Amino acid sequence: MSLRKLRIFPAIAIAIVFAAAWLFPIVWSVLNSFKTEQDILAYPPKLFFSPSLAAYKAVLFGSSSILPNLWSSLVISLGTTVLTMGTAIPAAYALARLRLRAKKFTGFYVLATQMLPPVGIIIPYFLILRNIGWIDTYEGIILVYLSFSLPFAIWLLVSYFEDIPFEMEEAAYLDGASRLQALRRIIIPQVKGGIAVTIVFVFLNAWNEFLFAVVLSGNTVRPVTIAMFNFVSIEQTLWAQLAAVSVLAMLPVILLGIIAQKNIVKGLTVGAVKGGGRR
Amino acid sequence: MTNPGQVRLDGIVKRHGDFSALRGIDLEIEPGEFFALLGPSGSGKSTTLRILAGLDMPTSGRVIIDGADVTSVAPSDRDVAMVFQSYALYPHMSVFQNIAFPLEMGKAAKGAIQPKVREAARKVRIDHLLDRKPGQLSGGQQQRVALARAIVREPRLFLLDEPLSNLDAKLRLETRFELKKLQRTLGVTTVYVTHDQEEAMTLADRMAVFMEGEVKQIGRPADIFARPNSIDVAAFIGSPPMNLIPASYSDGYVIVADYPLKTSCRIPGQRDVIVGIRPGALRFGRDGMPAEVELIEDLGDMALLDLEVGGIRMRARVRDGTPPREGDVIHVAAQEKDLHLFDRATGARIESQADAA
Repeated sequence: MSLRKLRIFPAIAIAIVFAAAWLFPIVWSVLNSFKTEQDILAYPPKLFFSPSLAAYKAVLFGSSSILPNLWSSLVISLGTTVLTMGTAIPAAYALARLRLRAKKFTGFYVLATQMLPPVGIIIPYFLILRNIGWIDTYEGIILVYLSFSLPFAIWLLVSYFEDIPFEMEEAAYLDGASRLQALRRIIIPQVKGGIAVTIVFVFLNAWNEFLFAVVLSGNTVRPVTIAMFNFVSIEQTLWAQLAAVSVLAMLPVILLGIIAQKNIVKGLTVGAVKGGGRR
Repeated sequence: MTNPGQVRLDGIVKRHGDFSALRGIDLEIEPGEFFALLGPSGSGKSTTLRILAGLDMPTSGRVIIDGADVTSVAPSDRDVAMVFQSYALYPHMSVFQNIAFPLEMGKAAKGAIQPKVREAARKVRIDHLLDRKPGQLSGGQQQRVALARAIVREPRLFLLDEPLSNLDAKLRLETRFELKKLQRTLGVTTVYVTHDQEEAMTLADRMAVFMEGEVKQIGRPADIFARPNSIDVAAFIGSPPMNLIPASYSDGYVIVADYPLKTSCRIPGQRDVIVGIRPGALRFGRDGMPAEVELIEDLGDMALLDLEVGGIRMRARVRDGTPPREGDVIHVAAQEKDLHLFDRATGARIESQADAA
């Protein structure tokens, strides 16, 4: 065996350790979601057990069903994503293309909003929303999420737009296209990968958000991240149900990842293949 | 009105802050003409083309196409087509879709698109590549797609921005020839930007020599070559460039390195001039200025000689006969018709009697 092959073993070992550390909580959740409470608390842990759907039945159709919470999460995440992308795509295009005098400043300002520590603005946000009566509403939570996701999405998208040579757009103008036609037919199709990546990030951030939701949500609008938290109480923790909810909460994320996988890989590697299509 | 495609630029000025990219361009291009904008990089030729296309706005001046002032008309409404140096093909579309795009934007009838695209592709011989994506094509093929996209809509004006500069030397020669043929067949007015004088000389019916944001000379390539109107143009046109030698004129002769050369110029009195002699116009013989051969570059069918004539460097081109060897001392002279005289102070050409005739 050559030295090179020997050297690869430590790398593989490290990779396995990291993968295990990352996978363990997921495997733990999935396994426990099919156990009964007794099996979970059994010592030594039971590796072999008869799977039960009791936990799923309880969290989906029981007295404290999380279906409304999943629905809340979905509305919030979709609403945030749609509004973010609808605003961020034209904004990023403008920042990438137009020769604005304030462009540099605007770019910095957009990014600077990402530097604020979230805990520092929770209370002001809470006060503002309370004053306009938007606590515990979809509008309120989506609005607050927009304040993070929009700058982030613009910042991410600008670099994708800047990758498209302006000459390509000029060619479209000379071919008789209007600015909007050039954007729709020539530019957007080329930044599809970047848009997919941004959609996934924005959706996931909204879906996973906890800190703001815990303050700004209530009994009407309660995303699944907050509902999950309620399975942990002073008297007892319903481990099986908690595990079942986390598996259910993970599903849309995994689904989204699978659907957008091809575009994500394309979007993330755009730098590596840049110019591959031309010249 | 005659054929469409008549262009007039009227006092075009383009400033970027304090920097003047164009300092007043006046040009007239006739319908069907192949017109080259030739100049070194940064001379303003590309800016002129972009203003003609509508991609840039002039600071002042007017762009007139077929009698109509289009200075503030959007590029999409000018009915002009352009081939970019980078080709600017749409990478996510097939070759067919690329060529069809201007037709779709022009609201062409659905049924008319297919035959027109095929016809344009056939003219530039890429009709077998219509299903490919631009990324799967060679540079030469991409260039043809860009051409097909320009001709498909039969515009009144073609604008070509250094279209051959990304091709390798052999392909460039072939494409140059085909481009000329294509333009002849289509008869569409073509404005061609290049820094390559050979391209301009071979392709253009007329050309404008750009330098530092100004047009220095306009004319047929052969005329500009034969009678450059200033030292700048003389130095730029011709390869290897013209020898430009400080000399003094008196009474029908210019004195170069103590040696009198007869000229057909007649100007009163004595004057300091620059005399220009093309490397190919230097003759070897018994008489003439004694010159030492410093270096020989043998190019096979010709040789370039670096000469030293009384402290002045000159280049000569020899096509036939046995070239001398390095270190030889030879005698060179030039016929009076081959001498170009320029005013040393203004740089302007001093017309000879042959010019006036």
